Amino acid sequence: MRTYILQRFIQMIIVMIVVMLVSFIIVELPPGDFLTTLSEQLTEQNVDPKVIDSTVEMYRARYGLGENWFIRFGKWAWSLMKGDMGYSMQHNRPASELMGERLSLTIWISIATLVFMFVVAVPIGMLSAIKQYSAWDHSFTFLALLGVSVPSFITALVFLLLSVTLLGATTVAGLFSPEYVTAEWSWAKFVDMLKHVWIILFIVGLGDTASTIRVMRARMLDTLGEPYIDTARMKGLSGAKIYFRHALRVAINPIISSIGLRFPQIISGSTIVAIVLTLPLIGPLLLDALLGEDVYLACSILVVLTLALVIGNFLADLALAWLDPRIRFES
Amino acid sequence: MNSPPDTDKVLDIRNLQVSFSSIAGTTRAVNGVSLNVRSGEIVGLVGESGCGKSVTIRSIVGLVPSPPALFEDGEIWLRTRRGMTETLSLYKNMKALRQIRGRDVSMIFQEPMRSVHPMMTIGQQITEGILEHEVVDPAEAYDRTVEMLDLVGLPSPPAQMNRYAHELSGGMRQRALIALALVCHPQLLLADEPTTALDVTIQAQILELIRDLRERMSMSVLLITHNMGVVANLADRISVMYLGRIMETGTVEEIFKEPAHPYTQGLLASMPSLFSQPKTHLQSLRGVVPELAMAPKGCVFADRCPHVMPICDETPPVVELRADHSAACWLYDDVEASQGPDAATAQPSHGGDSTLGDASQRVEVIPLTKTEPAADAAQKKLADSDTDQLQIENVALHYPILRGLLRRQVGTVRAVDGVDLSIRRGETLGLVGESGCGKTSVGRLVTRLVEPSAGRIRFGADGRLEEITHIPQKEMKGVRRSMGMVFQDPLSSLNARMNIRNIVGEPLMLHGMARGSAVDERVGELLEMVGLRAAHQSRFPHAFSGGQRQRIAIARALATEPSFLVADEPVSALDVSVQAQILNLLLTLQQQLNLSMLFIAHDIAVVRHVSDRIAVMYLGKIVELGNAREICVRPVHPYTEALLASIPLPMPGLATLQEMPKGDLPDPANPPTGCRFHTRCPYSQPICEQEEPRLVPFADAVDHFGACHFQDELHLQGVEEIGEIHGSAAAAGGEE
Ligand code: SF4
Ligand code: SF4
Repeated sequence: MRTYILQRFIQMIIVMIVVMLVSFIIVELPPGDFLTTLSEQLTEQNVDPKVIDSTVEMYRARYGLGENWFIRFGKWAWSLMKGDMGYSMQHNRPASELMGERLSLTIWISIATLVFMFVVAVPIGMLSAIKQYSAWDHSFTFLALLGVSVPSFITALVFLLLSVTLLGATTVAGLFSPEYVTAEWSWAKFVDMLKHVWIILFIVGLGDTASTIRVMRARMLDTLGEPYIDTARMKGLSGAKIYFRHALRVAINPIISSIGLRFPQIISGSTIVAIVLTLPLIGPLLLDALLGEDVYLACSILVVLTLALVIGNFLADLALAWLDPRIRFES
Repeated sequence: MNSPPDTDKVLDIRNLQVSFSSIAGTTRAVNGVSLNVRSGEIVGLVGESGCGKSVTIRSIVGLVPSPPALFEDGEIWLRTRRGMTETLSLYKNMKALRQIRGRDVSMIFQEPMRSVHPMMTIGQQITEGILEHEVVDPAEAYDRTVEMLDLVGLPSPPAQMNRYAHELSGGMRQRALIALALVCHPQLLLADEPTTALDVTIQAQILELIRDLRERMSMSVLLITHNMGVVANLADRISVMYLGRIMETGTVEEIFKEPAHPYTQGLLASMPSLFSQPKTHLQSLRGVVPELAMAPKGCVFADRCPHVMPICDETPPVVELRADHSAACWLYDDVEASQGPDAATAQPSHGGDSTLGDASQRVEVIPLTKTEPAADAAQKKLADSDTDQLQIENVALHYPILRGLLRRQVGTVRAVDGVDLSIRRGETLGLVGESGCGKTSVGRLVTRLVEPSAGRIRFGADGRLEEITHIPQKEMKGVRRSMGMVFQDPLSSLNARMNIRNIVGEPLMLHGMARGSAVDERVGELLEMVGLRAAHQSRFPHAFSGGQRQRIAIARALATEPSFLVADEPVSALDVSVQAQILNLLLTLQQQLNLSMLFIAHDIAVVRHVSDRIAVMYLGKIVELGNAREICVRPVHPYTEALLASIPLPMPGLATLQEMPKGDLPDPANPPTGCRFHTRCPYSQPICEQEEPRLVPFADAVDHFGACHFQDELHLQGVEEIGEIHGSAAAAGGEE
C-alpha cells in the first residue's frame, strides 16, 4: 500500500515537472526579450522611466533573465510555486490577480459538477441495471443517449433562449444576480451563487452524467452476472444487500478511476458553457490569453490546471486503493 | 401428485419443465426431469454441455432468472427446517426462498476463481451468511467461521479470515466456498461442476473433501458434472441427462457395469481410460449434440443412436429395469411388458462386457481409409525409423518479473527450466502436467513462437537434424512448413472473419505452395481428410460446432504437409463424445501421413491413449520419461503416481492411493529448492529439500527415466493393465 502511494506520488511529481518544462519552453519561445516588450509597453503608457527601470530590474532578477536556461527555469518554477503567476502583457496586470477568483470558482464548480454527476448518475445507472428492460431503464437509456449526444453549448443556448423567452429574464446568465456581481464575498452572495449554480452544474455536467449513467448501468449488469453474485444470492441475502454490499463496490470502480479523466473534460466543457453564459471561469481567460499570445498568463493557467488535475487523479487513485484490495496488494 | 414425498427424501424433483423464450422462439431446456436425493446420499447428474443440468439444479433454489425462463410444469420438493417445501411455488415469495438458501440448501459453483467476492475478506463473506440466518453475536459468528475453515482443511484458519480472494489459489477458494456453503449446516449441497476448473491433483483433494464432509455433516449432495470419472468416484446414484431429459438413472455400480441406455453406453465407450488399448480407435458416438431447437421429436437421442427404430419417433417410456435402475428407451419397453424387470439382463444389447465386445455395431466408428492402427505396428515402425525428428537439449524459458515504477526485475519465472527431449520420426510423445508446469511453453519453444532463454533445439524436416534455436524468423518460416500446430480453443485460434477456404488455405498461400483454384482443390482435399465436406469452404468458423472447428484447425495445420505436429490440449475444450472423434482423427492422420507428434495435455488418460512415450512435467522440469504404458503401470516418480491416482476413473469402487499429494501447486516464480515436488511428496526425505535429483535411467530399463532420489527403492502404485483390471472391477462389483 505504501509503495503504491509513493509510486503514484512520484508519478505525480514527474508529470508536473514535464508540464512545467513544456510551459517554460513555450514562455521562452516568442522572439524578442520579454523585458524589452515590457519596457516598451510601459514607455508607451508614459510611465516614469525610473519606475520602468526598477520594474524591469525586478523582473530581471526574479526570472534570472540573461542567465542560462536551467537557472531561468528554476527561478520561474520557484516563483510559480510561491504563487507569483507572472505578468499579463495583454491586461497589464500580474497574472495572479486576473486568475484569482476565477480559478477558485472553476475548481469549485468542477468539483460540484463531479459530485452532481456521481449523485445523479450512480443511482440511476444502478437502478437501470437492476430493473433492466423496465420502463425506468428504457426512459433513462433514452435520456442518457440524448445527454451524451447533445453538446453542452447547445444545452446552454437552449437554456438561454428559454429563460429569456419564457421567464423573461433580463440578465441572461452568470453566476450571480446583478447586484452581487461586484460585491464582496458574503453569506448573501454565496446563497445567491447557489441559486444560480445548479443550472450551470446541470448544463456542464449533463454530458458526463449521461455517459456515467451508461457506464454504471453496463458495469452493474456485468457485475450482477458474476459468479460471486450467485454465491451471495445463495447465502440468502436480500436484494438490497446484494446490490449495495456486493455489486456496487465492484461496479463503481471504473467510475472512480475515471474521475481523473473527467476533470479536463469538465474544464473544457465548462469553458464553452462559460463563454456562452459569460461566466467568470478560468476557461475563457485561458482562451483569451492564447488568442492574445499572452504567454505568461497562458502558461500559468496551464500549470495550475495541470496541478489540479494531477492532484485529482492522485486522490482518485487513493480512493481506488482504499476500495479495492487487489490494488492495495499489487506492490 | 401434489402431496409431499416421504420424509426419506431430501429433494424430490417431479416432471420439471423449463423453457426459455427468445426472439428465435421457445426452447424447452428441461423437459420432464424427475430426480430425487435421499438422506445422506450423493447423487450425480451427468451430461454434456447444454443438456440442461445447470438449469435443473439452479431451479431448485430459484437462481434461474425468470423471465426469460418459464416454469411450465413440475414440482420441486425440498426438505427444509419447516418440513417439506415446494420451492417453485416460493418464487413469488422471495423472503421465504431466501430463508431456505444457505440454511437448508447451499450451492458451490464451477468457477471458484470467480465465485469469491474480490473485495471482501473471506471472513466477512462467511460470517455474513451466518448473521443472515441466525441471531448470534459477531464474535460467535467469527468463531464458527474459523472452525468451518478448519473443517474444510484451509491452513491456519484465523489468518485466512482477513485474506482476499486474489491471495488464494483455485483449490483454496473452492475450499473457502465450501465452508461458506456449509456454515449453516444445510441438509443438501448442490455442487455445480465443482472441480472442472481445477487441476487434477487439486480436483482429487476437493472430491475427497466433499466425500468426507458428507459423513461429518450428515448431508446429501447433488453433484452435476460432465465427467463420468468424477461421478464414479463420488456418487451413490447417477442420472444421465441429454437434451433436457433424463436418459438413465441407476446406482453407480449398475450404470458403469451395465449401462442400459445407448447414450450412456456411448459416453462410457468414448472415454479414453487408463485401461484402453493405446493408439486404437475409441468408439465414438456419431455426430454432435444438436441445438436444443433441432432436437429430434420422440427420443431426443434418435439422430445419434445406433439402435434407432421406427417407434423412436414417439417419446420413449421410462422403463424400470430393476429397483433403482431405469432407462428411457424403447429397447426395454417390451421387457417390462413381457418378462418383467428382472429379465432386463437377458437383453442382449445391454450388459457389462458387451459394451466393449460388440461395440462396432452399436457405436459408429468414423469411416477411415485405413483400418485400425495396431499398437504393434507402431512399435515396429519405431524400430525401423530410429532417427530423431526433433531434439531439444537443456532448453529453458525464463520470464523476468518486473515490478515498480522503473520496471525493475524482481524475479524470474522459470516456465521451462532445462528440458531435454527427443521425438523420433513417426512417434508421438505425450507431454503431461498440471497448469503452470511449462508444458505449453515447451510446445511454443519447439515451434519457436517464443525465444528460448537457453539450450538448443534441433529439427529435421526430412532427414538431417538442423539447429533452429536462434535462426532468424525468415528462415524459420521455411522450417514451419514442416511443422503443424493445433491449439486448445478452436474458436479463438481461427480467425472469425475469414472463411474456411482462406483459413485452411492461408499456409499454402503463405508458403507459395498454391494459388487460385489450386488452393480450392487442396483445401477441399484437406477438409475431406478431416471428415468435413469440401463444399463447406465458403462458410465461416461460427457456422461450425466445437468439434468441427477443431477439425478445421487440424486441416489447416496439415495444409503444408508437415512431418511434425504440435497438438496443445486439442480436445480439452470439447464434449466427451466429440473428444473421442478428434482423438480418433488424430490417430488416423498420424498413421496415414506418418507424422511425428508432440501431444500436450493435462489428462494423463488422454495422453496415454495417443502416445508412444510420455514425459511428465512438474514446475518446468521433466520428472519422468518413458514408454506410455510402462509409465502408467509402473510409475517411478511420486508425482506421476499422484497424477495417475488423481484421474477420476469411470470405475466405481476402485481403490485409490492412500496418500495423495498435499497442498497446492507452488508458485512457478518461486519453486521449492531441491526436488521441486518435495513440498507435496508423501515420500519426501530431508535430502529432497537440498539436492535436486537429475533425470536418470530407472534401474536397468533403457527407455525409462525418472528424477527422484529414491526411484530405485520406492514401489509406486500404477494402474494395472486391462485384463487384470476387468477381473478385479467385476469382482469388486460382484461382492455388492
Ligand atoms: S428410444 Fe430409440 S433412439 Fe432412443 S435411445 Fe432407445 S433405441 Fe435409441
Ligand atoms: S526426490 Fe524426494 S521429494 Fe522428490 S519425488 Fe523423490 S522422494 Fe519425493
